[in-house]
Amino acid sequence: MTALDKIDMEIEQGSFVAILGQNGSGKSTLAKHFNALLLPSSGTVWVDGLDTSNGEHTWKVRQSCGMVFQNPDNQIIATTVEEDIAFGLENLGIPSAQIREKVNAALATVNMEGHGRDTPGFLSGGQKQRIAIAGIIAMRPQCIVFDEPTAMLDPIGRAGVISAINTLVSEGITVILITHFMEEAIRAQRVIVMNDGQIVMDDTPKNIFSQVDKIKSLGLDVPQITELAHGLIHHDINAPKDILTIEDMLLYLQKQKWNQEKPNQEKMFSLADSESASFVDKKTAHISIQNLTHVYSEGTAFEKLALEDINIDIERGSFVGIIGHTGSGKSTLIQHLNSLLKPSSGKIFLNNKDINEDKENLKSVRQRVGLVFQYPEHQLFETTVYKDVAFGPINMGFSGEELKKKVEKALELVALSPDLHEKSPFNLSGGQKRRAAIAGILAMEPEVLILDEPTAGLDPKGRDEILQQIDILHKKTNNTIILVSHSMEDVARLAEKIIVLQDGKVKYTGTPKQVFSYAKELEEIGLAAPQISYLIKGLEEAGMSIRSDIFTVPEAIEEILRRLE
Amino acid sequence: MNFKITLGQYYPVHSPIHSLDPRVKLIATINFIVVLFIASTVVEYAIIAAFLFGSIKIANVPIMFVMRGVRALMYIIAFTMILNTLFAPGETVLVQFWRITITLEALQWAIQMSVRLIMLLISSSVLTLTTSPISLTGAIESLLGPFKKINAPVHEIAMMMTIALRFIPTLLEEMDKITKAQMARGAGFDTGSISKRVKNLIPVLVPLFVSAFRRADELAMAMDARCYRGDVNRTKMNELMYTKADFVALCFIFLLTAVILIV
Repeated sequence: MTALDKIDMEIEQGSFVAILGQNGSGKSTLAKHFNALLLPSSGTVWVDGLDTSNGEHTWKVRQSCGMVFQNPDNQIIATTVEEDIAFGLENLGIPSAQIREKVNAALATVNMEGHGRDTPGFLSGGQKQRIAIAGIIAMRPQCIVFDEPTAMLDPIGRAGVISAINTLVSEGITVILITHFMEEAIRAQRVIVMNDGQIVMDDTPKNIFSQVDKIKSLGLDVPQITELAHGLIHHDINAPKDILTIEDMLLYLQKQKWNQEKPNQEKMFSLADSESASFVDKKTAHISIQNLTHVYSEGTAFEKLALEDINIDIERGSFVGIIGHTGSGKSTLIQHLNSLLKPSSGKIFLNNKDINEDKENLKSVRQRVGLVFQYPEHQLFETTVYKDVAFGPINMGFSGEELKKKVEKALELVALSPDLHEKSPFNLSGGQKRRAAIAGILAMEPEVLILDEPTAGLDPKGRDEILQQIDILHKKTNNTIILVSHSMEDVARLAEKIIVLQDGKVKYTGTPKQVFSYAKELEEIGLAAPQISYLIKGLEEAGMSIRSDIFTVPEAIEEILRRLE
Repeated sequence: MNFKITLGQYYPVHSPIHSLDPRVKLIATINFIVVLFIASTVVEYAIIAAFLFGSIKIANVPIMFVMRGVRALMYIIAFTMILNTLFAPGETVLVQFWRITITLEALQWAIQMSVRLIMLLISSSVLTLTTSPISLTGAIESLLGPFKKINAPVHEIAMMMTIALRFIPTLLEEMDKITKAQMARGAGFDTGSISKRVKNLIPVLVPLFVSAFRRADELAMAMDARCYRGDVNRTKMNELMYTKADFVALCFIFLLTAVILIV
């Protein structure tokens, strides 16, 4: 298989380059050639004047071009932070006395001073990733390649890593950033787009992202703001097509003639009101969570209050988004809904019946409340996709024709074509694996479907496909769907109601319009509103009259068009 | 994610014992255990116990933590004690009923064995409470260092132990996650015959192995990228170095040995 095909490129010292491309386009393969982890089948790679295929240069090349990988857990070797950062230096044979000094300097660069003696296992994903970066920085490389460093992080973790990368750029280190997040790529000086092992675009971010249609045809995405500009141009507005940031868009709009008419919108109730507002009457609720409190390791030194007095009622057939930063209690909460965790106190009702009341009921609860875990593809185990999807229904006691019907229907719902059914699940692509795993839950025909971060780690095309299928599924089956995510764009797109969790408590509940109009407050608790919300806030602050309850691109286009006329 | 599993039982406080060289602590513990088995009189055990509890005091570790290891093996200790009481040879009969005879010698022997076992557990607890697993690994690597001359893979073994220590909690967490995910698909783990239960584990073990191999692969890549090439020209940040305190500690343990041997 040809992974890379006749690549010709040069990267200047001290530059910041982003590499984009769908999964399988050859980005990672290319990156691994930069530090001799892979050697070219034909052609030559020169790093700092050294030919990487010359075995004598291997260590020199790896020292001058470091690499940070996607999964923070799988690149930390030692059991304390400082020992881990020292690992590379120890390999280089640096004298002990100098190692500590360099380790401390590296910790400072990634803003992790004082964590030297911590156990990596106790750190958050973002902190671990910064440790991994420090481990590379300590070796004083001239270039660092980042292979999707933020793919597995939440917004806070991501911001920390990006700020560390910015520090490196300002210190003159060459940074090559592979990413699926377009907002990260727009900061680069140069963007390279790959497809099928070839470089298909190579230009400044402005010139790349202004070609919205071409980027989308390559399975990639553009920043929401660029999409907005593109939409306005489509409606014969003379907006510059290379707007990438909120600031640029604000500058442009402020210069236009603006209709200052008072926005015609229903009065929103304040968040203080919505906090106590229940979505639906308790009696008719599909799921009703009442006074739920959960304490981990009760009575030990590790006791931790994970959920405190949660009250939520979820309407039948509704689509609810749960957002909150890592550790806010999201995962703990949803594991209560199918009785994987039992409440320390409080009750959970499904169709008005306490799910923990009788033990015999357990199987039926798990069948009716389908829970798709984060990275569900990690639980695939059977020899064929079909058998794996059948695992759930077989456990529920189905067999024969009925089983076959359920499995086939589930596979159809996630759009996995019949030619894949007899394949090993381990041979599917990343997005296909995830869909197969989701089918494994759908095959049990649950009436409530809970998805925990269903788009995590996927490329833009994979994200889009999954979200589209969830949307179709909701419309087709009218199931109650609960989507847990820290991607506000995902939640904004699909959810009818949003629950914001913070420190084990319900912070806000409301419609997306209500919740996202509080962009600042969300930011304070480590969440971010969709980009469009920030634009609207910015316009309001500039004294321009606009509806404040807008958070998607199509709505923004419509409203801005009205204002510009 | 919500419950963290730590391996070993390192108790992170500062104390003179904590800051001793791990090699010294390892040697001292082995030496202590030998002494434990040389001793035979009550006076000797009293001296040893005083030494042991003195070190716990200096180590600044709550006695509750030290006793944990003993508590975990309480049943085994009780069981050996009963066995010894019943079956150890002896002449001075204390109690006799039905087919059971308890002799004074057997009872003494049983008590002596239990005291040895308990003190052995406590002393190894003191070692693991005051020494992180990783520095223990370092100590083993250093002490076995001479065997490198005969090409024994000492560094490699130590590296493997380090990586195992680092990844066992990660894999346990992962196993918990996979188990829950399969339970959400209706899998049960605590019902059925033994062969059924073993079969029930397949949905957990297969993904766990797949994940372990993936992690191993990625870790190897990350180690490569950080210039790891085995024990070639390698230095250490925390070079093990004996200090005055280490010699003092060794003097104490040798003194104890001498006392027990002479008395």
